[in-house]
Amino acid sequence: MKLLVVEDDATTGNYIAKGLREEGHVVDLVRDGHAGLIAATTGNHDVLILDRMLPQVDGLTVLKTLRGAGRQVPVLLLTAMGDVDDRIEGLRAGADDYLAKPFAFGELSARVAALSRRPQALEAETVLRAGDLEMNLITRTVSRAGQTIDLLPREFALLEHLLRRKGRVQTRTMLLESVWDIGFDPGTNVVETHVSRLRAKVDRPFDSELIQTVRGAGYRIAS
Amino acid sequence: MTARLAQLWRSMPLRLAVLLVALFTAVSLLSLAASYSFTQRSFEQAIRADLRQDLAGFRAAPNARAVAALVEAESRETDPNRLVLSYVAPSGRIYGNGAVARDEAGFHIISLDAARSEYDGAYLSLTDRLYGGVITIARSRAETAALRDVFLNIVLISLLPTALIALSGGLVLARRSKRHVEVMGRALDRMTGGDLGARVAVGPRWSDDLAHIGGKLNQMAAAQEASVTALKQVSSDIAHDLRTPLQRLALTLEDLERQTSENTDQAALIATLRTEVAGMGHVFQALLQLAQVEAGTARAHFTQVDLAALCQTVVEVFDPSAAETGHTLKLSVDAATPPVRGDRALLGQMISNLIENALRHTPAGGEITLSLNRAGGQTRLVIADQGPGIPPEERDKVLQRLYRLDRSRNTPGNGLGLSLVAAIAGLHRADLILGDNAPGLRAEVRF
Repeated sequence: MKLLVVEDDATTGNYIAKGLREEGHVVDLVRDGHAGLIAATTGNHDVLILDRMLPQVDGLTVLKTLRGAGRQVPVLLLTAMGDVDDRIEGLRAGADDYLAKPFAFGELSARVAALSRRPQALEAETVLRAGDLEMNLITRTVSRAGQTIDLLPREFALLEHLLRRKGRVQTRTMLLESVWDIGFDPGTNVVETHVSRLRAKVDRPFDSELIQTVRGAGYRIAS
Repeated sequence: MTARLAQLWRSMPLRLAVLLVALFTAVSLLSLAASYSFTQRSFEQAIRADLRQDLAGFRAAPNARAVAALVEAESRETDPNRLVLSYVAPSGRIYGNGAVARDEAGFHIISLDAARSEYDGAYLSLTDRLYGGVITIARSRAETAALRDVFLNIVLISLLPTALIALSGGLVLARRSKRHVEVMGRALDRMTGGDLGARVAVGPRWSDDLAHIGGKLNQMAAAQEASVTALKQVSSDIAHDLRTPLQRLALTLEDLERQTSENTDQAALIATLRTEVAGMGHVFQALLQLAQVEAGTARAHFTQVDLAALCQTVVEVFDPSAAETGHTLKLSVDAATPPVRGDRALLGQMISNLIENALRHTPAGGEITLSLNRAGGQTRLVIADQGPGIPPEERDKVLQRLYRLDRSRNTPGNGLGLSLVAAIAGLHRADLILGDNAPGLRAEVRF
């Protein structure tokens, strides 16, 4: 993928660019809003990672200008401010996702991956599969290696979410947002507990591990 | 009524008014008494002078017979109520409009005939020997007596009303100043209660000294508000400024982690460091969020929030974690609870913080109940645990940022959770009431 990072802090910008390049992306890195605007309108990027506070032209203005010009590139907004108003303001200005500093690189990477595949057509799938696991969305049943697995509604929803994004890392906060519609931080390791309960039913009785932990980032089901 | 009077009596202006009236009355009475006695004495002196003059007139007569004739003539035209004349001639015959018999005690006036016997009252008399007889002239002191009535009337007509008017004026002033003092008292109560924006509304009719004090109080309140705002700004600024280096630190550590092979000592150390850095990030996050919530700008985008559904979601999220630590999480929600206007994410954060706090302080095996219902026109959200609770005297303090009970020093948490709960409740104009669950803490939010 071709990504554009607009970040004024050199250290942070370099680390983001380095990490994304290591994952195999092509990364353009610029330091201010003005350069960011030029790069975003001329380059053909798949995702734009935009810091909210930038010298010359601030992130929100860059975003509004881009949207005003009809550019639909997915934008992940980075901010050093609190959550409450900024999030809403950023999303209103046309951001597709939002990440508050300090963030972990794994979180950024997972969100960039999610954004890049956003305009996918929602396939009318009725059965989701991963390895020997099968999820029937009509009968709402799950089986693995022919054995039926009983899941609670939220466990089903969690597994469905991971299955639909096979091969992509889902972070704790992404899971909270998507599965429980929770935009706040419940603090303790609640997601870990939910995943470990799901694993106890889906993975533990079987030979191989379907739900993988990605160090420092989150969880995924291998494609 | 008596209590109100007693309260009024303690007010400064009324005491001053009463004191002034008392002083004024005392001085007036003294001066009236002085002028009364002075006037009375001069009246007496005038009577004495008149008596001497009368006597001198009779002395001018050449002999006893002439005196007797003069006395008789005068007596016929004189009202004995005013003037009594009597001449006892050398022959023993009594002339005049009154007979005076003398005894050792003094003179007594005796009526000459029955028709003239009604007069009474006090007289001042002068007796002298004249041509072998005894002449007595007595003048009534009725005028002196009338003087006493005049002075009494002065007291009744002028002094008493003046005192009454001054007293009621004092009462009116006392009540007004009491009202003004109460206005100041209420503003001070609100300031003490944490409303830093409270001010004394100084009215145009306030007396200068009260208005001055009110103005000074407002200055003090403004200064205090400014310093509190500055303090909040500083904590917010610090959080901002530290976030960028913290971001670099977090990313560098992650980079380092990627370059380190798993399951080594170095990897374990790096994991510990990452946890610490994440913890610091959470503190800054909480401080910034607290500042933003307290600023109140989030009210602008309030929507209808279904609290019942939100409670269900939060309990669902926490349920496995609670089970893991041996806690029971009970939910008792009245599904008919109407939605409240608010910020869903913040309300969820508030419920989460309360549940997290309850989980942290309740021993394993304990029960935590989240209930939501409507009572007394209010929506009540209650989180009750079975932990050690919070002593009543500490309940206000735990809502201050970074405050932690001594016994909580070694438990996780950053001392911002309950401050944020209080701030979010405040943002929604809800009351946060920390009570006793006997045993445990009962946190109630009333919308």
